[in-house]
Amino acid sequence: MTEFTLQDQIRDRAKQLLASEQVKCVIGYEHGSRGQVRPAFIHQINDVDSLVWNQGCTHNLVTYLRDIKGTFGSDEHLQRVAIIVKPCDSRALNVLLAEKQIEREHIYVIGVVCTGIVEGAGYAGQSSDKLQTRCVRCSDRVPVIYDLLVGEPTHPEITDDYVDLTELEAMPPAERAAFWLKQYERCILCYACRQVCPGCYCSTCMFERDDSLWVGIAAGVKEKEAFHLGRAYHLAARCIGCDECERVCPMELPLSLLNHKLAKEVQRLFHYCAGDEPSQSPLATMLAEGEEFPA
Amino acid sequence: MSEHTFQPRIIAFCCNWCSYAGADLAGVSRLQMPADFNIIRVMCSARVAPEWIIKALLNGIDGVMVLGCHIGDCHYISGNHRAAKRFVLLKEMLAFVGVHPDRLLVDWVSASEGRKFQTLVTEFSKRVKELGPCREWQVEIQTPQR
Repeated sequence: MTEFTLQDQIRDRAKQLLASEQVKCVIGYEHGSRGQVRPAFIHQINDVDSLVWNQGCTHNLVTYLRDIKGTFGSDEHLQRVAIIVKPCDSRALNVLLAEKQIEREHIYVIGVVCTGIVEGAGYAGQSSDKLQTRCVRCSDRVPVIYDLLVGEPTHPEITDDYVDLTELEAMPPAERAAFWLKQYERCILCYACRQVCPGCYCSTCMFERDDSLWVGIAAGVKEKEAFHLGRAYHLAARCIGCDECERVCPMELPLSLLNHKLAKEVQRLFHYCAGDEPSQSPLATMLAEGEEFPA
Repeated sequence: MSEHTFQPRIIAFCCNWCSYAGADLAGVSRLQMPADFNIIRVMCSARVAPEWIIKALLNGIDGVMVLGCHIGDCHYISGNHRAAKRFVLLKEMLAFVGVHPDRLLVDWVSASEGRKFQTLVTEFSKRVKELGPCREWQVEIQTPQR
């Protein structure tokens, strides 16, 4: 019963941190009213025992750090937050750290060794035994950044083969355009993908500004496509592939495909994988010596 | 629309310091160029937001050129470095959503390269003509204008 012990370790540490007032809040997972796992914000020691860890902990909690940004008090009373991260989530932390969105000393990172999250996690009664696609191709078992590591580190030999992209890449361009148009037509512009994304932290999204020369006011397919392509591009070399956007999409658009494709190209062109280190994206830096574009 | 009558609509973003002057030189040298492009002057090739290009190509523009100073000559030192990296990735993304990557051209034109400007525009216009209209299958959807 490894998971039982992992959960116990998380609870123990959360208790210590809250008791010693090292942190003000622990962001973790708990069981929802219908049995599904949901994010939890623990402020009281009494509530710590509701924290859980299992294969249904799909949420990327780093998203919630965005909401506490700027709420830290003066240095006299540093209000730190503890956060539970999976390996994928920890890479989002690195992205935010590189972009100076959070301060390292403001967060206490409880990293959990992850063996994959199951399909349908986060929704009551939809959980299955099958691993999510992103987890099948993921070789990260250990968070890239943590203060406390929970679990036994392993390093399986898995390489991302981008198998989900092959079908689309093989299509003729016109068909591919039609495929995406059909998908974007279904979009209802609820912006859930943007809200859940740890990388989308602009206080006013470019695509929702009053000055909507960027995206027209019509909710037409062109505006939807411009939004999705623009968002995907904003996340290029920053998206860590947690696929939360796809999970929360009420219309079940295959949003992760475009992000995954961009990650693939960034890897090919710049040999860069978002979040591996707290470093700036290659799109924001100068060309290296001898590097030449356009090819 | 038959290929014979198809007149592509092309936007050329030219940076203020090199390419715009290069285009100007091509003009005052009375070099022959196709008349189907519009120049938009920007301060730097890095000012060209990828969203503009996405929006242009989805809204009836058939080709976009981004022209800047040669690498090393950027007025802002590293603006064109960023442009170079951004647009090579943007091309990949456009290709993945079914827009031919040749519809976007990124190149460097210095103030003295009027001849190069002429060649680039002529070749690009020819290429876009070959490719035909971008997104003709959705022209019936119109965005309300401000």
